[in-house]
Amino acid sequence: MDYFFFIDLLQSLTDGLLFGTTYALIGIGFTLIFGVMRKLNLAYGAASLAGTYIGLLAFLNLGAPPALVFVISALGAGVIGLVVYYCCFRFTPETVPMASLLASVGMLLFIDEVVVHLSHGMPYPYPSVFRDSVIEIGEVWVRGDLLFVFLMCVVAMGVLFWLLHRTPLGLATRAVSQQPRAAQLCGIDSARVNALTFVIAGVLGGVAGAMTAAAVGVLSPIIAMGLTVKGLIVVVIGGLGSIPGAIIGGLLVGAAENIFLLLRGVTERDIYVMLLLFLFLTLRPGGLFGAHAGRD
Amino acid sequence: MDFYFGLLQIFGVHTLLGLSAYVVLLTGQVSMAQAGFYAIGAYAAGAATAMFGMHIIPAVLLAGLVSAAIACAVGFPALRVKGLMLVVATLAFGEMVRMIFFNLTWQVERDGALVGPNGAEGFRAIRYFPENGWEIWQVTTLIWIFVALVMAALWWMDRTRAGAVLRAVGHDEVAAQSIGLNLTAVKVGAMTAGGFIAGIGGSLYAHTVTHIEHGIFGVLLATFAVAYPILGGLGSVFGTLIAVLFIQGFLVEGLRFMGDWRSLLFGALIVVAMNLRPKGLLGDTPLRLGGLRRKPSSTPALQEAD
Repeated sequence: MDYFFFIDLLQSLTDGLLFGTTYALIGIGFTLIFGVMRKLNLAYGAASLAGTYIGLLAFLNLGAPPALVFVISALGAGVIGLVVYYCCFRFTPETVPMASLLASVGMLLFIDEVVVHLSHGMPYPYPSVFRDSVIEIGEVWVRGDLLFVFLMCVVAMGVLFWLLHRTPLGLATRAVSQQPRAAQLCGIDSARVNALTFVIAGVLGGVAGAMTAAAVGVLSPIIAMGLTVKGLIVVVIGGLGSIPGAIIGGLLVGAAENIFLLLRGVTERDIYVMLLLFLFLTLRPGGLFGAHAGRD
Repeated sequence: MDFYFGLLQIFGVHTLLGLSAYVVLLTGQVSMAQAGFYAIGAYAAGAATAMFGMHIIPAVLLAGLVSAAIACAVGFPALRVKGLMLVVATLAFGEMVRMIFFNLTWQVERDGALVGPNGAEGFRAIRYFPENGWEIWQVTTLIWIFVALVMAALWWMDRTRAGAVLRAVGHDEVAAQSIGLNLTAVKVGAMTAGGFIAGIGGSLYAHTVTHIEHGIFGVLLATFAVAYPILGGLGSVFGTLIAVLFIQGFLVEGLRFMGDWRSLLFGALIVVAMNLRPKGLLGDTPLRLGGLRRKPSSTPALQEAD
C-alpha cells in the first residue's frame, strides 16, 4: 500500500466520521420513537427534510442568517413530527401494527411529493458556515464546515442526553419505553409522552437534515430517501432501541460510506453500505447493542 | 381503444405485483422488496427474449423462477429478524437491487445492434411483441391469463391447509409454533412464492413497455405493492384486485385532469384509509363461498358460571 493511498484513506475516514454524526442523529430519532411506541416511523426522514425546507424558506424569503436558518429547520421538523404522530400513530389501532406502518409510508410519499411540488424538484443552495476554513493535521485536512456539522450534532446529542436523564420529561419517556402500562399506572400520560417524543425526534431530525444540507451545500428532495435508508441501516447496526448503538452505527456507516466512495466510486457506494446491513442481519441480527436478538 | 387495452395491461401487471405482496403479508410480514423482485423479473425476462431470443412464455416462467430463487436466498437472512426489522431489511434490499441495475452494463450484439441493460440508460428495445406481430389485445389477454392463473392458484391455496398455515403464522407466531409449524419454512416459502409472482409481473411489464430503467423500481413501486393488499384487505385476493382498480383506474387515470396533484393524493389516501379502515376494505377474514349460502352460525356468548 503506497503512502498517498494511505493518506487518501485516512482523509476519507475523517470526513466520513465527521459526517456520520448526521446519520447517528437520524438513527437516534428512529430509535427514540421505536423505544416509546415499539413502532417504526418511516416518514421520519422525509419529515426531517421537510423541516429543513422550512428553514430554507426563511433563508430565501427573509434572508435569515445561517444560525437562525438552522434553528428554524430544527423547529419546523419538530412541528412536522407532531403532525406525523397525529396523522399516522395517534388514531390507528394498537392491534393492527401494519396500519400505522403503512400510514407512515403513505405520509413519507405525501411529504416527499409536497416538497417536490413546492420546490419544483430543483436543488436550492443552503447556507453553510466555515466553508473556506481548513484545519490541517499532518497530511489530513479537516474541513471547517464538516467540523461544524460534527460539533452541532454532538451538541444535539448532549442536549438529548440531558433531556432524557436530567428532566422529568426524560424520566417519563424512559419509563414509557421500559413499561408503558406501569408508567400509565404511575400517572404518566403516555399519549402526551409519545407526542413529545415525536417532537424531540423531529427536532433531532431537523438538525440532521440542516447539517446534511449545510455539508453538501445544496438542498434537494433526493436527500430524503438517503436519510431514511441510511438512518434505518444505522438503527439495525446499532440495535433497535439503543441510543449508544445508533451513535456508533452512524459513525460506522459514515466511515464505511466514504471508504467505499473512495474505493468503488459514487454509483456503487450505496450497494456496499447495504451489503454491510445484510452482513449484520446475518451475523448479528440484534445489532451491536441490541438487548434481545431479533426482538420485534 | 388501444388506450383501454393499455390500461388493462397496467391493471394486470399491478395486480400481479400486489398479489406478490399479498402472499407475504398473509404470514404477517411486510416486505418492501417486492419492487426489487419485480425489477429482477423484468430484467431477467428482457434479457431472455431480447438478448437470447427465447419465446415469451418460457422467458416469463424463467424470470419468475430467478426472482423466486433470489427471494428465497434473501428470505433466509432477512427472516431471522422479525416484523419491523424485516421492513428495514427488505427496504434496503429493494434499494440495493435498484442500485445494482443502475450500475449494470451487459450488452450483446444481435442483428447488428447492441442490446441489453446499459447502466443508467436502462434496458431498451425489449421488443418481443412487436417483432413477432402480436396485437395489443393478444398481449392483454396473455397478461390476464397469467393474472387469472395466479389469482385462481392463490384462491385455491387459501382453501387448503397451506392457506390455513400461512394465516396461522400471520395471526400468532407463538401459537403457530406451538402446534408444530416451522416458522422459518413457512415465511421463506411465502417469500419465495411472492418472488415468483413478482417476477412474472415484472417480466410482463418489461415486455409491454419495451424500455425499463432502474428509476421505475423505487420505493414508490414498493409502496404500491404493499398498499394494494393492505388497502383492499387481506381477506381474499379480490381485495387486492379492487384496490388496484381503484388506485390505478380512479386515482391515477380518472383524476388525470388534476395533473401533478394526483401524486399527493396517493400518500394522503393511504394515511386516511389506515385511520378509518385499518384492516382494509374487505377486512382480513377469509371470504368463503360457503359462508354466503349458509347463515353465519351464531356463536353463543360466554356466560358467567354462576
